Amino acid sequence: MPFKLLLQLGWRNLFRHKRRNFMLLLAICVAVAGVVVMNSLIRGFQFDMQEAAVANLTGHVKMLAPGYLDDPNIEKSFTLVKDWQPHLPGVELEGWAPRIRIPAVIMSERETRGIQLVGIDPARENISFLDKVELAGDMLSDADDRRVVIGKELARQLETEVGRRLVIITQGIDGRNREAGFRIAGTFDADGKGLEKLFVFTGVKALQNLVDAEVVTEVSIKVVSQLDESLAQQGLADSFLDLDVLSWQQLEPQAAAMFVFADSAIFIWFLVMMGALIFGLMNTLITAVMERIKEFGMLRAVGMRPRAVVVQVVVESTLIMLVGVVSGTLIGWLLVLWLSDGGIDLSAYAQGVELAGMRSVLMPRLLVEDLLLVSSLSLVFGILAALYPARRAVKINPLEALRR
Amino acid sequence: MSDVVVRCSGISRTYQEESVPVQALQDVDFEVRKGEFISLAGPSGSGKSTLLNIIGGLDRPDKGDVEVAGVKLNDLNESELSDLRLQKMGFVFQAYNLIPVLSARENVEFIMQLQGVSPAERASRATAVLEQLGVEGMADRRPGELSGGQQQRVAVARAIVTRPVLLLADEPSANLDSATTRELLEMLRTLNETHGVTIVAATHDPIVMSYARRQVNLRDGRIVEDKQNEAA
Repeated sequence: MPFKLLLQLGWRNLFRHKRRNFMLLLAICVAVAGVVVMNSLIRGFQFDMQEAAVANLTGHVKMLAPGYLDDPNIEKSFTLVKDWQPHLPGVELEGWAPRIRIPAVIMSERETRGIQLVGIDPARENISFLDKVELAGDMLSDADDRRVVIGKELARQLETEVGRRLVIITQGIDGRNREAGFRIAGTFDADGKGLEKLFVFTGVKALQNLVDAEVVTEVSIKVVSQLDESLAQQGLADSFLDLDVLSWQQLEPQAAAMFVFADSAIFIWFLVMMGALIFGLMNTLITAVMERIKEFGMLRAVGMRPRAVVVQVVVESTLIMLVGVVSGTLIGWLLVLWLSDGGIDLSAYAQGVELAGMRSVLMPRLLVEDLLLVSSLSLVFGILAALYPARRAVKINPLEALRR
Repeated sequence: MSDVVVRCSGISRTYQEESVPVQALQDVDFEVRKGEFISLAGPSGSGKSTLLNIIGGLDRPDKGDVEVAGVKLNDLNESELSDLRLQKMGFVFQAYNLIPVLSARENVEFIMQLQGVSPAERASRATAVLEQLGVEGMADRRPGELSGGQQQRVAVARAIVTRPVLLLADEPSANLDSATTRELLEMLRTLNETHGVTIVAATHDPIVMSYARRQVNLRDGRIVEDKQNEAA
């Protein structure tokens, strides 16, 4: 098979009908660039959802007392030995955080609200959203800090502010209510009002004192590489047979389902764009074959084998796709770079965005594996689109073609 | 060893033209010997092009046997016929049929590339043939930049550069003026006489017939005259 010759012919034929091929290349460019940009936006949305789910005090893996998820209270807690550290060979940890997280009622001078009271070691909260919030006032100083950090929205609802006192009522380990006054150290401004209304943070040791038990209700673990998630989960499950060790997908099933849906959305979007494109490409190739009937007839007459004719049409289609895909990918990449400068502001749709588990600014994310997949699948589509025109070219009777 | 290049025995060919059967060839026996320069002449519909196409393996007879360079064409499939045309035959078409996106040199090298000839050998043979046909100065031009006569020379160069056993020409002078036709025929005669290229040309052009050393006339699908042209 004279592949080099067919490649040379294919390349020269690209410039044979400049306007027509330019329009086709433009269509391929727009489709591929569209797919690249859309992919990066969906990936950004997907990444946001996952980040939000993991940062929402979940971590990649979490240890909980059995039954806590169904009935979250201080009785569903467990004790960590002094100076406990997670021991997970082969897993690189970004961090881990022990917490007490229990329902409580918070009261200001004017309002009362139901909240989640979370006892934390602030030094360990680099793995949660607390690490990224804007803070008015102070963060808790350490695990013994008896002050609270509340959300900006909750402060608004309670009509209170930094430095004022609040009363919190929650259940102690003996089942009796505990009531204590806490001073507000700071208010946080999270990306979404839901978090600001729900969580109130205090020092984990201070909260242990309040509930009269040196226990925690959860330990969250964040790994560096997502590939280590299941290894970390298995390692912890082996070490803590009496605890529930759950992944973020199990803890946030809605976000996990959306994550999978986003993968499907990328694929469906790609199929729709390429499906439309393939007919345009096929149409152009059929036109090109029909215009060159005499040439194909001559090629067959002088001894080009039918298989070589098929390869020639496929090579031409693949070259058009290759040029279109490379240009489209480049344009798509530049567009993504442009969009990445500040991201897309979705704050006008804040409520819906928050419900979807996203941040108010959508940052596109371009994955190399996505680019490779789009490029290689586009080329496969190019080859598929060429098969029918190639069949038409092979069926050309050289004798009839030469008589034209 | 036999010097018969083409042997057609009792070949017949009928076409359907708008559901009407047209007998293009009727029980034709025909032989071509090595080194001959033959013109197939006759009015339109006489069967000359059909006979040429059957010899070239571009068409198949309904009846009878065709043998080219010792190979029986009736038994070959499409790919085998392609290989035979590629290795043993050269074609000169009425409309030149050069590939527009290739230069004259690339057109000449094209069939050698299909044959798998090495680049150095291709270049040297193409240069020699283009020089021989007087179009070496046009080697880098594309067909669109050449006159009809120059294009036909390039087409002949493409046909003979592979050193075919048989050169088939279908109305080679149809698009040429008489002066260019004579130039082309002088060139074909030289190829025939000095290089021993066997040539069969289907034509209705008296000038082409006058150059052929053997004249075969057809009428209504039969050979009605087969004579040597002493004047050629």
